[in-house]
Amino acid sequence: MKTLRPLRPRPAACAALAVFSCAAAPSRAQSANHSSPEPPAFREVVDETGRTVRIPQPVRRIVSIAPSLTETIYALGLQDRLVGDTDYCDYPPDAKNKTKVGGGVNPSLEVIASLHPDLVLATKSFNRPETTHALDELGIASYATDPHTVADIMSSLRELAEILGVPDAGAPVVEEMQRRLTDLQQRIGSWPPKRVLFVVWTQPLISTGQHTFLADAIRRAGAVSIVDSSQDWPQVNLEEIAKLQPDFLVFAESHSGEASREVEKLATLPGWKILHAIRDRRYAVISDAVNRPAPRIVSAIEDLAHQLHPEAFEQKPGDAKEKTDKEKPCARPYAFFPSFLNLPPPSLEHVRSTGGCACGR
Amino acid sequence: MSPSRSSTVPRTAPESTRLGTEIRLAVEQVSYAYSANPSQAPLFTLETTSFQARPGEIVAILGPNASGKSTLLQLIAGVLNPLSGRILLNGFVIHSLTPRTRAQRIAMVQQESRLLFPARVWEFVLQGRHAHGRSLRFESSNDVQIAQDALMQVGAAHLSDRLMDQISGGEKQRVILARAIAQQPLLLLLDEPTLHLDIAAQVGLLDALRRLAARYRYTVIVVTHELNLAAEYADQILLMQSGRCLRVGPPAAIYQRELLEQVFQVPLKVEMRGHGRPRVTILADS
Amino acid sequence: MRPLTFRKLFFQCLLLLVILFFVVVVALKFGAVPVSLYALGRDLLRVLLGQSSQISSDYGLIIQNIRLPRILLGILVGASLSVAGTSFQALLRNPLADPYVLGVSSGAALGAIFGLIAEPHLALPPDLGALLTPVCAFLGAAATVAAVYFLGRRQGQIESNALLLGGVITASFLSAVIVFLMSTVNTSNTRGMVFWLMGDLSTSFQRSVFLFLAAGFFVAMGVIYATANDLNILLTGEKEALHLGVDIRRVRFVVYVAASLLTGLAVSVSGAVGYVGLIVPHVMRLLFGSDHRTLLPTSALGGAIAVVIADTLARIVVAPNELPVGAVTAVVGAPLFIYLLRRRLA
Repeated sequence: MKTLRPLRPRPAACAALAVFSCAAAPSRAQSANHSSPEPPAFREVVDETGRTVRIPQPVRRIVSIAPSLTETIYALGLQDRLVGDTDYCDYPPDAKNKTKVGGGVNPSLEVIASLHPDLVLATKSFNRPETTHALDELGIASYATDPHTVADIMSSLRELAEILGVPDAGAPVVEEMQRRLTDLQQRIGSWPPKRVLFVVWTQPLISTGQHTFLADAIRRAGAVSIVDSSQDWPQVNLEEIAKLQPDFLVFAESHSGEASREVEKLATLPGWKILHAIRDRRYAVISDAVNRPAPRIVSAIEDLAHQLHPEAFEQKPGDAKEKTDKEKPCARPYAFFPSFLNLPPPSLEHVRSTGGCACGR
Repeated sequence: MSPSRSSTVPRTAPESTRLGTEIRLAVEQVSYAYSANPSQAPLFTLETTSFQARPGEIVAILGPNASGKSTLLQLIAGVLNPLSGRILLNGFVIHSLTPRTRAQRIAMVQQESRLLFPARVWEFVLQGRHAHGRSLRFESSNDVQIAQDALMQVGAAHLSDRLMDQISGGEKQRVILARAIAQQPLLLLLDEPTLHLDIAAQVGLLDALRRLAARYRYTVIVVTHELNLAAEYADQILLMQSGRCLRVGPPAAIYQRELLEQVFQVPLKVEMRGHGRPRVTILADS
Repeated sequence: MRPLTFRKLFFQCLLLLVILFFVVVVALKFGAVPVSLYALGRDLLRVLLGQSSQISSDYGLIIQNIRLPRILLGILVGASLSVAGTSFQALLRNPLADPYVLGVSSGAALGAIFGLIAEPHLALPPDLGALLTPVCAFLGAAATVAAVYFLGRRQGQIESNALLLGGVITASFLSAVIVFLMSTVNTSNTRGMVFWLMGDLSTSFQRSVFLFLAAGFFVAMGVIYATANDLNILLTGEKEALHLGVDIRRVRFVVYVAASLLTGLAVSVSGAVGYVGLIVPHVMRLLFGSDHRTLLPTSALGGAIAVVIADTLARIVVAPNELPVGAVTAVVGAPLFIYLLRRRLA
């Protein structure tokens, strides 16, 4: 996984930046404060990757270059301030109506600049450090999150609420998340965790390491990944899996039916047939939301818990079904591997089956 | 010792007559045109040419550069298809034969391209046996014997285990000739074989050719621009200029001063010597 | 004068077969589960004698279904790539040629990508669905082979320089297309792309795939081997080869198609494992000489040995994780290639 490197001071760039900032700051302040001529205020914070960021206050125009952060903005009720997001930002549905700045890997800097944002939100796992560097050189403030656990997601959210000037909006969201997680813990806490393999990719076999928020989500759902690796996305040996024989396989799908098709295919292959989980068709399928460090991840966690520990939820079968239906992913025409080939939707307009969404992170 | 072969040449010619009586090679009204672009006019043409050759005969195709000598040789070798006319070897049209069958009957000696991977002299000569027998096979002891003989015939037996890029130009020429002999051909074609050789080597080569032609009844066709060598060794000469064959005949008939001066564009003097072999002397500008 | 005899060839191949056998035995020992070779041998014998239908030892299923197929895949891929490399070096008259120089691997990768895009729209039964990737990859390879062939023709037959040029340009173009597709990919999942770029033997395949691979290998190898003598002479010189009885046009076409088929087969199941097709022929030349009657079979065996060793390393070096086998072949192959190059130039 790439890391966001700390800024390398480059003399020429710094000089340019200084000139640019001086030139840009007044005009930005003017456009942002066209109603009342206040002097521009800045706030210095340190983002989650250790960069020091000077954020203009108040933050009126936000561009998000990660779908998880787009969701977070909506959860905080700040969608009116969101002026741009990526092609993959599809939740909630209204996010699709915002101006698109491109993909997460290569957003168009020109479009971002033309939107005159006060702040660009990024996340380390989805975006590249080159993008934030480039934004720095343009004098646009960017703040990057880097959650490794579900708790991190919640604290990120609180921090963002504070930075964006709505500290009171963050608390209810986080509390709701916490409440649901605690409830879940109460239900399944007494049951032994299920041993699972989270399948990111089958060819080659890639799973998740122990230090991602995905691994933490799995833990909170009453499971433990049999892959013990400090790498974020390790390629694992099928023999190891066959030796460890996970109780369940877990798939995150964005298109309904993908996972079951994949499992059926795997069941025809000699190397996979010997896994009891394949033989007995013991697999859990959850929404692609588990890949996004946003409030919706709690729903995915609950969904996973329901599938792994049905015995813990016997009293209210109706609830369980409701929850899984609510989180049904929208139809998407792409192949199973969620993030392998996120081609920009416009170029594949003709292969869309429904007016569906492209899921990313 | 004459090598065994599966040819159709009747072995009736006695050793005493050096030339056989039957026609082995018949070039009948052959012409050729070459153009880089099919829609454009041809860049070069070889005009209608005819001649015949017998077993044991040495034919020289003589002329200055770009006279069509090499083209004619390539046509005889079967590599190029004539535009008109045909070339017959013992009655078979040459370019209708498969490469394999052709290689059993026709051997070419020409400048070698650079070798990509190291090869030994004996490996090189053994390649001459490729056309005889199945494509994929291991060489038989017969093949080995023939190759060894060939090397001996050219006086290069002592080079057998050396690497090809470690021998001199003259030695290489001999090895190439040995490979051609190993093919046991009816027709032996040589394209400017004396180009990079010193005088002693040139004479040695042509002596060897005469000896081999007599011994194995080859029909030898040599492309050259060396006037005196051709005069000394050839039984028949084709005089070429700019794609035209001006005259065919024995050296005495070809080596006429006016004719040669017109073709080679230099003043010269022709002397007839006793045994019917003319000698040409180039007159230097004074 | 010591020409090649069948006997000499036989013993050279036997030697390599013995080495291959030992390498396979060692490879079988390494992995997630321990193997008692004695028990394995005994069970295999029982299976061969028809006394029982499968290996009964504790972890036998893992050996039978995962480890052994993987080793077998390594053998087939290694042999295919080495023979293809040897053939292309002869065909293109270039010691730097490898099986991918004519764009076959890029074509296969692109075919696989298109297959993956199309998959959700085709309602395939599961066992055919599992075959989709290798089949599409192979079709992509075949299309590239055909395209490059037509680019490389001059006056109705393949000409080495034109083929090389056409192939390099095609490879370049296809790689650019792939890079374009990659540049729109989320960074965290580029690991999947590594499969195609580096080569990986970890995929599990149905038995039919192995049969197809093996059949393809033997047919192609047989076809190429039949031209072994012709290739020897072709390497001496093109013009000379014609005069010595080689049907250059036919040989070129046949070798091109067969070698490309081998490359396509290998790449469609394992991605582009690098350096094997380039280096194994050179090493075998150093050891056994340039005669293709020896070079072709020894390259095949040498390639099998090399890939099985590399894949075993790939499995054990970062256990329980694994590396793609192409990473190992690159790390070992590149310095080895530099050494060979210096030796030739010296």
